Amino acid sequence: MNEHAWLESAAAYALGALDEGERAPFEAHLADCPRCRAEVTTLRDTLGLLAQAAPGMEPAPGLRDRVLAEARRVRPLGRRPARGPWLLAAASLALAAALGAGFARQRAAARGVAATLAEARRLLAARDSTLAALLSPDVHVVSLAATGRPPTVRVFWNQDRSLFVVMAFDLPAAPAGRTYQLWALAKDAAPVSMGVFNSGSDGRATLLIPVAGGVLGLGLVEACALTEEPVGGSPGPTETPRLVGTWRHTAS
Amino acid sequence: MTPIQPDAAIPDRDLVWRMAAGEERALGALYDRHARTVYALAQAVVGERADAEEVVADAFGQAWRSAAEYDPLRGSVGGWLTTIARARALDLVRRRGRRGRAYQRAAQAADGGLAAPVAMPEPPDRGVERAEAGALVRRALAALPDAQRRVIELAYFGGLSQSEIAAELAEPLGTVKTRMRAALEKLRAVLRPLAGEGA
Repeated sequence: MNEHAWLESAAAYALGALDEGERAPFEAHLADCPRCRAEVTTLRDTLGLLAQAAPGMEPAPGLRDRVLAEARRVRPLGRRPARGPWLLAAASLALAAALGAGFARQRAAARGVAATLAEARRLLAARDSTLAALLSPDVHVVSLAATGRPPTVRVFWNQDRSLFVVMAFDLPAAPAGRTYQLWALAKDAAPVSMGVFNSGSDGRATLLIPVAGGVLGLGLVEACALTEEPVGGSPGPTETPRLVGTWRHTAS
Repeated sequence: MTPIQPDAAIPDRDLVWRMAAGEERALGALYDRHARTVYALAQAVVGERADAEEVVADAFGQAWRSAAEYDPLRGSVGGWLTTIARARALDLVRRRGRRGRAYQRAAQAADGGLAAPVAMPEPPDRGVERAEAGALVRRALAALPDAQRRVIELAYFGGLSQSEIAAELAEPLGTVKTRMRAALEKLRAVLRPLAGEGA
């Protein structure tokens, strides 16, 4: 088949209109041909715009609530009956977070796609330890979120390696001389410090904190809270927690 | 605590990554940006309002569950969402064992297909930018020769393969292939200013 014919197939492939028998040979060709891959990508973007040709109509007002309610029911990360799928979800989360941070930085630099990819790879490599911590078999997770407010903090507890992995989004950096402190909460016990951290100017943080003995002494840790404290942390919370979340013990 | 940046300033792809991290608010923001386009597409393919809403709910549900799989190198978030929605809409049409609305319309030579309502007024609350984009896309489709436009509509909104289109239009397969590529290349050239937006 000459080059022209392959590009003709690229158009049909992007449209999903390539006949059954032609799809496999074209996909095999696609694997080796950057030109056809680029062709398919740009044609798909063009086709994505075709949706806008359809006469615009307002979806029913209740549809948004339905979508969000369904999302609450089926979380991308959450209680799963088996261990395997949950661990995959945890891995995806780590990748997504790592890439997100990388691209945010990239935007400012406004570099090309190749540089973006290289940066993402570099970032992924740098976060191998984070990933490894998330990929171990006995990981528990807690999300701390203020109702209807933006900041989100996610804490993974890797019991095998005795590590907390903390990921924060939209958490404004604590002011000079202040820090964020995470607390483990258990029934009938004073809050125990899990560690201190601060987010960057982009509102994000990803860090590993070794699990201290005091946390293990609590027995079943039920919840996790975030306060702002003087640098170095406090022996106990000095303010009402800004964020609170209960642990989802998913690996059971 | 105040948000660092308003939702409007967050690029689409960051919203998708936040969805991958389980942030429902990001899903809400993505819905606010793209629901109309996704709904319009679903409506064009399936016809019935209730079916179109089911497609929209399915599509955003799948986007939520598979957010971690989104790859920015393979296209814009808008393209990713409409690809999901189109597949869902075509599935639903096939499941019901009937032809989609666009398929029926495009197959009728007398009908101008989806490019017909070029002058259709947009709802007043619709974003000006999106209305302009919609008008540009409709103009681009309308500018195609009828024979080319019907091939695109049968494939995109109707989900037909090249040989199915050839049978439908009683044209040789080679003619359908040539028209399909010619039409897509024209659309790509005309719509280039819109492509890659919100990536």
